[in-house]
Amino acid sequence: MFEIFKKGEKILGMNARNLTFIRPCNLKQAKRLADNKILSKKLLKKSGLPVPELIAQISSQEELENFNWNSLPDSFALKPNGGFGGEGIVVVYGRKKTSPNGFKDSEKNQNNIWIKADGSLITAEDLKSHIQNILEGSFSLSNTPDVAFFEERLQLLKLFKPYAFKGIPDIRVIVYNKVPVMAMLRLPTKDSEGKANLQQGAIGVGIDLASGITTTAVLGKRKIIEYIPKTRMLLSGIKIPYWNQILTLSVRAQEVSGLGFLGADVAIDKEKGPVFLELNARPGLSIQIANLSGLKDRLQRVFGISIKSIERGVRVGMNLFGGEIEGEMEEISGRKLIGTIAKVKISGKNGKEIEVEAKIDTGAYSSSIDIDLANELGFSETLEKFSAIDLSSYSVTPENEQQIKKELVAKYKDTIADLEDVSVIFSANGSSVRPVISLPFILDKISTTANVNIADRKKMRYRMIIGKKNLGKFLIDVNKKY
Amino acid sequence: MTNLIDSFVSQGVPLETIALLLMFPVIATLIAFLRQVVGIKAFGIYTPSIITFAFLGTGIKYGMAIFVSVILVGMITRIIIQKLRILYLPRVAINLTVVSLSILFILVIGGYFQRTGLASVSIFPLLIMITIVEKFVATQIEKGNKTAFLLAIETLIIAIIGYYLLNWDFFINSVISYPWIILLTLPINILLGKWTGLRLTEYVRFREVLKKI
Repeated sequence: MFEIFKKGEKILGMNARNLTFIRPCNLKQAKRLADNKILSKKLLKKSGLPVPELIAQISSQEELENFNWNSLPDSFALKPNGGFGGEGIVVVYGRKKTSPNGFKDSEKNQNNIWIKADGSLITAEDLKSHIQNILEGSFSLSNTPDVAFFEERLQLLKLFKPYAFKGIPDIRVIVYNKVPVMAMLRLPTKDSEGKANLQQGAIGVGIDLASGITTTAVLGKRKIIEYIPKTRMLLSGIKIPYWNQILTLSVRAQEVSGLGFLGADVAIDKEKGPVFLELNARPGLSIQIANLSGLKDRLQRVFGISIKSIERGVRVGMNLFGGEIEGEMEEISGRKLIGTIAKVKISGKNGKEIEVEAKIDTGAYSSSIDIDLANELGFSETLEKFSAIDLSSYSVTPENEQQIKKELVAKYKDTIADLEDVSVIFSANGSSVRPVISLPFILDKISTTANVNIADRKKMRYRMIIGKKNLGKFLIDVNKKY
Repeated sequence: MTNLIDSFVSQGVPLETIALLLMFPVIATLIAFLRQVVGIKAFGIYTPSIITFAFLGTGIKYGMAIFVSVILVGMITRIIIQKLRILYLPRVAINLTVVSLSILFILVIGGYFQRTGLASVSIFPLLIMITIVEKFVATQIEKGNKTAFLLAIETLIIAIIGYYLLNWDFFINSVISYPWIILLTLPINILLGKWTGLRLTEYVRFREVLKKI
């Protein structure tokens, strides 16, 4: 019982967030800046941070009446300046082509029809009434009159396409004392109607700060998930591109905005790369569930250390709050994490053991070792006998593969020692028939016995390759060095 | 009864008024405690406390019935007029109209079935409860139906707790006999205002995180 209260000390709750962090760190002026999207956009841009371009803003009924709808581009996002929780945002993806013999600009709004994310149409008239609602404050905190603005629509990164429903995913980074302390990827879902807010049912995926690789995930405010609902899209192990840049941007935004305790929202545009979306003076607490980690504990570890430069702040964050991912990933998936090159200990005949560097090759189906290595391991007899087989009567083509294998195996399995199978390989530089032997080896402390074929790999850098068939127990991280 | 209260009464202040005024700080502190330590949010501090006192006027049975009716009618009205896309205040006015008429209807039906207890309820507690529809609509707009409904239920829970506290003889007698104990709410609130621990509901919300760390 007491233990749970002790553990609770590591988690940031509402009370502590408001009293210990927001109150002293985020002064009124800075909070006002964060609540004003146009102003913060201008300030961040002035300081050299990439932001989505402002297209136009409408602050009064009069401006709305006189607005030239033709001046809008084909795609844009319409937002309330003081909106919160993603409410009141309209995104259009293209302009509907009007028929050439249609009305000719009799009304300036007539040929302005756009297409929304779900394929439905929205006319200038619809936009006008939406903007009216914004001006009246339907989407602002406590219904105060608001300003509407149009901004450039960001383009979805290919990597995120299968994960995001309609909208653009973004990355929330909590920055405190110039150190990024926790981060999550927010994926819009059908329930959230393309918005990236957890409150509205988006998915939050925790991110390992050191590597930018996703770890655990939460759907909405509390449901822990592994896959995107109703799909087989695994949420862990996604490598966020531009990771270092994203953290740097977040820390810079903190410096510029003066928000001591900042929730920075960064999106990645297909062409522009990381773009700063929004400053948050009151970041939500569910990020802790996405990361399955306590924020208070992390904030306390960063409290009071003096950080001289942005780079240093980013590095401190990466060092303090990253790196556990390997253990976590292995724990979550039940599989070991290996790099693209691995040390393998092979047990040959007569108890002979040889350690080699092997290439982890997901492009190959089965594993293969070099002839010399096979000889060293004590398979010279097998090799000799196999090479003595006269293959001239076979035409080695893909159609005959099964037949060749069958005949050779039937004929020689009993006469040639250790021959397990025969594999026929077709590659760019000619086809070959290779003997297959059964070989026990240890890869990253996991021992397996695999059927490997013997090939001439003299010209290759590694004497062994390990193919897909033997990699089922592993996850591969291209950055990892053994 | 202390001399102090005695002298108040002799000045012409009704005893019931004194008791209610003295108990108000206690109800307010209770709400603050439920928010900061337990994590029951409700609609701020005004709405739950005023509903608590309205319940005193109507009695718990009718109070709850009226509260639930107000919220349900408010919800249904919103769904119906949502499509009209009208401004905030006119929208709330329509809501209030429908709710008022519904309450009137309920009173008439009650009278028809000889449930005169409902009709004899004083009008002010009823009006107070009708006005919470604004709070409800505002929350619906800002935070959505689900949250608004949840907060309404939380408000009801607080009002019920408050109602039973205000009807607890031992408590009333203590306040009347030792009115100074009301001053204790001040240090209690200062403590509550500095409380940075997790709320009880947050232990539930973060249970998966607690398992991991």
